[in-house]
Amino acid sequence: MTVASRLILSLAIATVAISYLLFSAPEREIPTHARFIKVTNDMQFLSVWQGPWHCVYDKKLNLLWEVKRDDESIHDGYWSYSWYDGQFGHADQGDCYFEASHCDSQDLIRKTNQASLCGSAEWRLPTPDELRSLIQTPNSPGKPHIASDFFPHIKNGDYWSSEAGVSLPKSFKREKLGATAVNFQSAETLSLPYENAAFVMLVATPSTPLSLAQSRVEPVTLN
Amino acid sequence: MRRSSFAIFHVMAVIVILVGLLTGPRLGIINHDFLTFLSPLLPQGALLSVHVLFGCLLTLIAIVFTVATIRTPFHGAPSKFDKAVNYFGYLVIVLSIVTGWLLWLNPESLSLVIHGLSATAIFLYLVLHGIKHTVFKGKQVLSVLLPRNALILLSCSIALVYFCGLGIKLIVAEQHLRLEVAPLSRQSHLEIDGKGDEPEWLRAKPIKLTTFGGANFLDGSSEVEIKALSNHDETFFLIRWQDPSESLEHLPLEKTSDGWQVQENGFYRFDERTYYEDKFAIMLSTTCELGGDGTVQYGDAPLAGKPHNWHGKGYHASTDGRTRDLWHWKALRTNDMYLADDNFFGPPQSVALGQRRYTAGYQPDGKESGAYVMNWRWYSPNEVTPKRMPIPSPDITERKVLDWFASETYNPQQDMAKIGEQLPSVLYRSNRFEGDRADVRARGEWHDGYWTLELVRKHQTHSPLDVELRSGVCMWVSAFDHAQIAHTRHHRAIQLRYML
Repeated sequence: MTVASRLILSLAIATVAISYLLFSAPEREIPTHARFIKVTNDMQFLSVWQGPWHCVYDKKLNLLWEVKRDDESIHDGYWSYSWYDGQFGHADQGDCYFEASHCDSQDLIRKTNQASLCGSAEWRLPTPDELRSLIQTPNSPGKPHIASDFFPHIKNGDYWSSEAGVSLPKSFKREKLGATAVNFQSAETLSLPYENAAFVMLVATPSTPLSLAQSRVEPVTLN
Repeated sequence: MRRSSFAIFHVMAVIVILVGLLTGPRLGIINHDFLTFLSPLLPQGALLSVHVLFGCLLTLIAIVFTVATIRTPFHGAPSKFDKAVNYFGYLVIVLSIVTGWLLWLNPESLSLVIHGLSATAIFLYLVLHGIKHTVFKGKQVLSVLLPRNALILLSCSIALVYFCGLGIKLIVAEQHLRLEVAPLSRQSHLEIDGKGDEPEWLRAKPIKLTTFGGANFLDGSSEVEIKALSNHDETFFLIRWQDPSESLEHLPLEKTSDGWQVQENGFYRFDERTYYEDKFAIMLSTTCELGGDGTVQYGDAPLAGKPHNWHGKGYHASTDGRTRDLWHWKALRTNDMYLADDNFFGPPQSVALGQRRYTAGYQPDGKESGAYVMNWRWYSPNEVTPKRMPIPSPDITERKVLDWFASETYNPQQDMAKIGEQLPSVLYRSNRFEGDRADVRARGEWHDGYWTLELVRKHQTHSPLDVELRSGVCMWVSAFDHAQIAHTRHHRAIQLRYML
């Protein structure tokens, strides 16, 4: 190889290296979750980093989950409810702002169905199995046992299930029957008196096939 | 000096300098954004330790080569051009070694600048020297780079120099700063008020150090003075550092013609450097290794299988499975709680796909309740909807934090704010944290170009996320001048020595 050809080769290598440095912008692929999809109130799917979202579509169970918020609406995560289905249970023993009296689970179900949250008017309390299916190890100390990135305002507390008429532990002397709840701090299932104030996360079976829903095309925003 | 001996020195110097040139810019990206374009070529991870080790090796090689050359010079036949280039190379290598050690002993901006410039000059030297010889000598260069007749001697020399350099690095890394923790009687009472004016503090022996590489400070550096006192239950720290401005803003919301907008300059990539409060961080560990005890992971993706970060600087995470304690005082968000945020650096956490920001090992301790939330329903760089507005009151003073009971739910129909009006983005839901996250009481006050911060914590909190305070524990400190992550730093650990 001659001096000239070696010089050209050196320059070529340098040019390739500089071009690689200048034009190799890092690629950022937006990941997808194997089970959950964020859904807006008008039934549009969002990517994992988009928001705000109001429901989560659970591909595994074909369910829509209500997403709690921090906005003092009826879906605020701080509100608590006694267990009541309109006939059984104990009405108006929870704590919320949106009712003149106190709140029970039927109040939230009624209001959510009236508003057709995420296109559904069939919101209900989840079964114990449905609730327990959400339990997962938190990735930070002190966080609830749930995917907090999809369910951000879930508290370290009890969440009512639909299962009622269950026997209560002997420590509850006044009441004999209550409803099943799942505690997302301890990841345990427990029975509580109907009048207890616990949290609620509603669930619905989608009324339209969600696979037909369109993804929203908008700039990605942070959470 | 024989040709083979010269070749051995040459090979070792090439290896050591190349590693230094690859690791140095990666460290430099932390506070020099213009180096980011080099990122695809640079290694990632806990590289400070590697850089210091190869600095020790280069020093050793330079000393031995100088002694050997004085005793028996190597007589090559370089041209005038080669001679000039070689002298230039020797000069900048020596400059790089000297400023590297100055940075270790007492980091100053000037040393940092000269160290960076000399590294750039070494790179130029390598290009000139390397290309010239490659172009004109072709394959003959390989005989210099890989002396076949002295491969065994070369291998032995590399091993010998490596282990000697490693020994030097281990000795160097043990040269900690010592902070004497003076005894304090049970009867003495120290007010955590950010003043530090109790006479007991006069008995505490201060240490002073320069922290460097932060955003916004004068030349990016801040002098820090630390004192410590201890009784049988608690340790008190009094810390004073230079900060030319008192910054108490945290991403304020501003009304624009398009609605409410977050004031920001970098927050979208989690590296806000303008609309942020001043902060101060203390890390504690039972071991005292280089690079913040090995918790500083440089690069945009330094942890295998974990996401890229958005700013390209790096992560904090431990790779040995252990936890380092982190106290994070924030001039706006925690100062009025009289607390520092009790956090920790642990192993990289699992990835939450729905969160755009991944913080690796940096996490808060658990809390039972309380504290602040952001006063927007959902962040967008274009427009946000506030959660709450201040209740109009003639008594209300201009506060940078919005109190829950001094505010009401935001209603767009009742939003009478004028364009240009600002709103706090920090909303206190309660007065303070409760639980593990509230272990460190702290209060800071800014006066005349300095923050004075007092902190106190029990020696033993019994939390697995906290480090017990006792002799031998090492600490590192960082100051933030209205910056989210661009903090100052220092390399030598501060080791506590209890006198009680």
